[in-house]
Amino acid sequence: MIDHKTVSIVMIEDDEGHARLIEKNIRRAGISNDITHFTDGTTALDYLFNAADGPQRNGPALVLLDLNLPDMSGTDILAKIKASDGPLRRTPVVVLTTTDDKAEIQRCYDLGCNVYITKPVDYESFAQAIRQLGLFLAVIQVPNLEPHG
Amino acid sequence: MAERTALGFGVGEGRMGRFLAAAMALGFAALVASGIAAAWSTAQNAAHTRDVNHTYEVELAIDRARIVIERSETTRRGYLLTGEQVYLDTYRSGMAILPSLLAQIATLTRDSPLQQRNLATLRALTDDIAQQRERTIALVARSDRAAALAVFQAETSARRMRAVRELAAAMAAEEQRLLAIRNAEQRASVQVFYATLAIAGVLLVVVAAVSLATVLRYTRDLAASRDTLRNFADTLEAQVTERTADLTRANDEIQRFAYIVSHDLRSPLVNVMGFTAELEGATVALGELIDRAEEHAPAIVTAEARIAVREDLPEAIGFIRSSTQKMDRLITAILKLSREGRRVIAPVPLDMTAMVDGITASLTQQLAQRGATLTIERPLPTIVSDRLATEQIFSNLIENAVKYLDPKRVGHIVVRGKRIGPRVTFEIEDNGRGIAASDHSRVFDLFRRSGNQDQPGEGIGLAHVRTLAYRLGGGIDVTSELGTGATFRLTLPVTLTDAIASETLGKVQ
Repeated sequence: MIDHKTVSIVMIEDDEGHARLIEKNIRRAGISNDITHFTDGTTALDYLFNAADGPQRNGPALVLLDLNLPDMSGTDILAKIKASDGPLRRTPVVVLTTTDDKAEIQRCYDLGCNVYITKPVDYESFAQAIRQLGLFLAVIQVPNLEPHG
Repeated sequence: MAERTALGFGVGEGRMGRFLAAAMALGFAALVASGIAAAWSTAQNAAHTRDVNHTYEVELAIDRARIVIERSETTRRGYLLTGEQVYLDTYRSGMAILPSLLAQIATLTRDSPLQQRNLATLRALTDDIAQQRERTIALVARSDRAAALAVFQAETSARRMRAVRELAAAMAAEEQRLLAIRNAEQRASVQVFYATLAIAGVLLVVVAAVSLATVLRYTRDLAASRDTLRNFADTLEAQVTERTADLTRANDEIQRFAYIVSHDLRSPLVNVMGFTAELEGATVALGELIDRAEEHAPAIVTAEARIAVREDLPEAIGFIRSSTQKMDRLITAILKLSREGRRVIAPVPLDMTAMVDGITASLTQQLAQRGATLTIERPLPTIVSDRLATEQIFSNLIENAVKYLDPKRVGHIVVRGKRIGPRVTFEIEDNGRGIAASDHSRVFDLFRRSGNQDQPGEGIGLAHVRTLAYRLGGGIDVTSELGTGATFRLTLPVTLTDAIASETLGKVQ
């Protein structure tokens, strides 16, 4: 049991299959952090900002975000998380989506997304990307509530 | 707005012309009729005047005859009384002209049997009177005046003279009666004339009124049509803008549709591929289990289980995987075309020779592998167009030329360009395998390929090239014969303006 400052993973992904594949690959990469899964934007936002065990009160967290959600666009959620005066602006956000449109990727980075991963149909590269994400997680796993350098 | 208004005239032009011609003919007919009526009336008038003159001539002749008879009586009586020769001479000369006077009356009244009868009576009377007179004159000449006077007394000369006067009066009255009849006829003919004139006049007025009304209505219709036309002209620009906006909107919707569909299709595909990979992983584990079971407890391994794990599962997974990959490539192609249609293009001056040189350099290895050469007929014309799109067109076409060279002969590719007016035509000619004539338009369709399917590809390249060519305000076609090579001819505007670029936005897929 690691202390309460373990990075928890919040996955916002409407496709159950994708969510399962992502989770499997994260686990295969040796990451054992908690994963909380939401299939729509509204409950996800509610959890992020208001829940008692949500990241705003318990931080730190990592958000895995799909851009195509049934109730809102993923970019809206990204904008809310990364709002310049928001409490979660330093929370790393990994955008995981099928869109490989350059303009959209650009927009996500402009909004403050930390990593952008396209879900390729080629599963190997997808698994590869998730494993790299595991490495990334390992780097930020240091419990830290202080502002990053 | 924008509903179509019919351009119709209230009066058909042909019908209108025919009607006016008929009306004018009718008007002229009325004029001619009144002219004829006038001529007829004048002739009638002249005839009537002749008749009136005739009546007076007859009356004059009758009077003259009567006067001659009266005077001859007077002179005879003078001779009887005096016996002077001068009376006798006057009498003789008077009686001498009487027959000619009577003959004149006869000539003048020959068309009237009644007057002829009267004249005959008059002649008989005058002859009778003349005989008596001659008797008395002869007696006087023999100086037997007493006998002459006795004869004069015995004869009823005064009564006879009265009869002559009455007869002359009757003849004059008869002429007056005839004149009255002729006058009535004349009045009737004048009435006919006036009636004809009135009818013709009314007809003319009616024709004029109807023609005027028709012309007015026609003019009004023309004015209305002209106004409609002017409205059309005024709103045409707005309508064109509106339609263009509609088209652009429709096109945008198709683009978005293609984009969304390809994305949403891709999402389940990720699952299919992902879980296929999971299955594959599981198959490996199962395979190892079978291996171990065969080694340690061969009895529990059935043939079905072995075939299922070693052959059926990998085969099924392989097909799923290849099909999914193919589907992904197709979706990617649709997505790419959809993006090309939406991409903002930026015209810049392009050195085409340098561009084709660059593409050739990137293909050096493939060219060397096939022992083929590529010749550029320098210099290629420079154009102002979008760099990326132009580069994609040329690399696609040149790559195709290299890809489909015929291994049976030494490959040779020629790139040339020529400016014709405001457009430039580029040709990429090869001596490769060629394209059958039936496939010439098909090769530009999405997912369609031609000839032996021995080269990798999805049938996207040329569809992409065509989309880009259209987008750049140009066009592309191919001339080729199967087995001898193909020439792709790309036409582009020398200068791609923003106007062309925005115009072509609605045309591409």
